[in-house]
Amino acid sequence: MDFLGYTLISSGLVFFLGTTIGLLRFPDFYTRMHAAGKGDTLSTVMILIGCICLVPWGLLLALKILLIINFIFIGSPTATHAMMDAGNKAGATPWRKDSK
Amino acid sequence: MSTLPIWQFDVLLLVLVVVFAVVALSIRNLMGAAVVFGAYSFMMCLIWAGMGAVDVAFTEAAVGAGVSTVFVVSTLYNTSATMRSRPGGLAFKLFIGVVVTLAGAFLLSALSDFPKWGATDSPVNATVTPYYILNTIPHVPNVVTSVLADYRGFDTLLETTVIFIACIAIYSILRVDKAKLEADEPAIVAAPRYDPSDSLIVRQASRFMVPFMQLFALYVIAHGHYSPGGGFQGGVILGASLILLAISFDLKSLLRQWSEKTLMLLVATGVFLYAAVGLACMFMGGDYLNYVLLDSILPGEKDMARSHGILLVEIGVGITVMFSMIAIHINLASNGRFDRGL
Repeated sequence: MDFLGYTLISSGLVFFLGTTIGLLRFPDFYTRMHAAGKGDTLSTVMILIGCICLVPWGLLLALKILLIINFIFIGSPTATHAMMDAGNKAGATPWRKDSK
Repeated sequence: MSTLPIWQFDVLLLVLVVVFAVVALSIRNLMGAAVVFGAYSFMMCLIWAGMGAVDVAFTEAAVGAGVSTVFVVSTLYNTSATMRSRPGGLAFKLFIGVVVTLAGAFLLSALSDFPKWGATDSPVNATVTPYYILNTIPHVPNVVTSVLADYRGFDTLLETTVIFIACIAIYSILRVDKAKLEADEPAIVAAPRYDPSDSLIVRQASRFMVPFMQLFALYVIAHGHYSPGGGFQGGVILGASLILLAISFDLKSLLRQWSEKTLMLLVATGVFLYAAVGLACMFMGGDYLNYVLLDSILPGEKDMARSHGILLVEIGVGITVMFSMIAIHINLASNGRFDRGL
């Protein structure tokens, strides 16, 4: 169980690294938000599931962390969507391969 | 509960706090500064959690990183997000620099007189803290709650009053008579505003999340005796859930549920409930806010009466904080017109 927890947490950190690199390196607003929204949600969920595996005490705490996961799983993509929508309305032009 | 003192982590957080503070002051776009201030508050929250002050961290996360960011953003929505540079010569800037440096130097020199953090021989830890820990109220294992609501009940009463006064002040400064404004300057009222995004996804997601937020907030208020939390935190979360509805739907649907009159009445009701509990104690023949004397009207023994008294007081705090947050948000978002806004 401990091994599973540590594996999940470290792979979550790897995804966090990918998110950060994507946020810094991608060419425009939409691709950056894409990296932030997807990577952030997945890595947070993985780290929290890893925490469930690591905590020794009780079902109740695991249930609480599961509720937090549920909350993040709904809230984070919705926030990303809202920001994408706002960016689209504010007129951010998407990046194309041929546009320099 | 044990907290591991990992000092490297503390140093990292402290550096991040300083970096965020400098960035928030130097950034020109005020919307960006608001977001950086949110991050700053969140770092402070982590520092407090690391120190073991979970109640303070909870409040900081709810108020500093959460609701106050929304307040700043809704203020910027009605004003402007670009900062105009103040007229001020080199002499003025030098003067400001000298004043700030001197004040900082005084504060730092005073810092060395403080006892070390967590030192067992400091006056606070030698006398007051053991008393609170040994004499915490039965049925209230969370010492912070029993200190805040019982041993320092006057303090918390006045804090609640401060929030009430802040709400009244913002209301009386910003609230404008719409009919009068239309007669004076019809152009300002009729000016078309940017319509906030009306997204189905956002609406449905917040509709799904709000009941759970409110349930959690009620748990925080009611369970504050046993775990971190209480009236302030729960009230802020309750207020935030309704502010979320106001942002994702529109201000009108919120005002249809809670009219202006009801809101302001409820803001006062919370403080009144707190003060009335204190008065009830006096009527029973004791001191103000001495909950022990309520045992003849509340169920349970004398110890239970103190616990119930704290619960009543926390509910009062929760009501005031919740509706203050909503009223402040509506004032800021609609520019005091209570019709439409962010």
